[in-house]
Amino acid sequence: MDDMPAIRASGIRKRFGELEVLRGVSFDVRRGSVVSMIGASGSGKSTLLRCINRLEAPTEGEVYIDGVPMGFVEDRGGRRRARSLAEINRLRRDLGMVFQQFNLWPHMTALGNVIEAPMRVRGLPRAEAVALGEAALEQVRLAEKRDAYPAHLSGGQQQRVAIARALAMQPKAMLFDEATSSLDPELTEEVLAVMRDLAQRGTTMIVVTHEMRFAREVSDEVMFLHDGVIEESGPPGQVFGAPRSERCRQFLSKFIGQAR
Amino acid sequence: MFSDALRESVDLSLFWDYREVMLSGLAFNFHVFAASATAAIALGLGAALLRVAQALPFRVLGTLHVETFRNAPDYIMLVWVHFVLPLLLGAALGTRIEFHPFASAVIALGLVYSGYYAETFRAGIQSIPRGHLEAGRACGMSERQILWRIVMPQVVRRMLPEGLNQLVSLFKATTIVSLITVPDLMYRVSMVTATEMKPLPLYTGAALLYFAVVFAAASLVRLASERWRRRILA
Repeated sequence: MDDMPAIRASGIRKRFGELEVLRGVSFDVRRGSVVSMIGASGSGKSTLLRCINRLEAPTEGEVYIDGVPMGFVEDRGGRRRARSLAEINRLRRDLGMVFQQFNLWPHMTALGNVIEAPMRVRGLPRAEAVALGEAALEQVRLAEKRDAYPAHLSGGQQQRVAIARALAMQPKAMLFDEATSSLDPELTEEVLAVMRDLAQRGTTMIVVTHEMRFAREVSDEVMFLHDGVIEESGPPGQVFGAPRSERCRQFLSKFIGQAR
Repeated sequence: MFSDALRESVDLSLFWDYREVMLSGLAFNFHVFAASATAAIALGLGAALLRVAQALPFRVLGTLHVETFRNAPDYIMLVWVHFVLPLLLGAALGTRIEFHPFASAVIALGLVYSGYYAETFRAGIQSIPRGHLEAGRACGMSERQILWRIVMPQVVRRMLPEGLNQLVSLFKATTIVSLITVPDLMYRVSMVTATEMKPLPLYTGAALLYFAVVFAAASLVRLASERWRRRILA
């Protein structure tokens, strides 16, 4: 049981009309490990991440969370049927997601954002959700901003609240979709610090990022996506230090000074 | 300096003499307003949700609703609902049907203003960033929870100024219900005119009363809601 991956993607393909964005992607994420996905824009990283929690339904292939398929159930006779939206919603609780644009709900306070899903989705009583929410805000070092509305928080603070919102659901894994790409450099650091902290606590994470130093220092594994396939993957030392693929080498050369 | 006619037409003492009659007429305006506003908002939201639905038949239905009622003058709608619709329904059901004037007034104004509200709701719903919905989905929220907890609270705040203007218009539109004998303020004015033969001071009194009510109510709502509404903006 222990060697079952927290997340397994198997043969993921995603087509938008004529355009095939993902062309057969498979990988495993071990429990407690951090996987970074790098690659040029348009390489399919974000789509892949969104296929994992089914914000996009893969055209082909399947994602397994702790061995449980996201997209179908198998009856006793081994017949498969597609999951209903309600079933998918149940599974999504186990995957926290952090977006590039934060996507906080502006009509709720920081704490309101964080306790919404624990109360409405997990059905926790308010007091319990608040305790959980305060702990999550504490973890991203924003306990004192609990009553602030998103409009009155900096970008970095908003993103940390968004991380707390995902953490409060006590997910099995966290997905970061270019979580720092819309932040100024100094605000980027405070968000990366929180993400480092999560990684050190053994959170299972998939991080789509352009922060090569972060990917190199924090990841257990780095995947380089190109044109909808994993072109290269391995421990960060290998991918950054001695990439085998020419495309990966070219891609990384644009980041010289940041990671190497 | 002022002619006698002008002096007489702004003399409110006659209106004041009939104040109880007038106020009980105004109460009918309030009743018609409250009922048709409720209907307009509920139907408008329904039509807006149809218009933003995924399935084409729903969208067509929603568009049909909006275009039918938004483009109908409320005056004509009122007459039509009160006199023609009962005949149509009666013919279809094979019985004689009559609408109470109050019911006709509420149906007609409710339908016309639901067309306006549908467009206001639709614009509000479509202005909510997609990412807000995706954040809800990613947390495992159902589409219904996302609608009522994330989308609508923001829509209401965004559409409040325009929605309030429509309520003002609707309240003013209630002045035409006397046409089908709902005994509202304007109805009282014409009744009193029939005995007193002095329409102008009565109309002046009615105008001032309507103005005072609308201005006071709209200002109060604006004052009470502005802070709450603006909190979501930077």
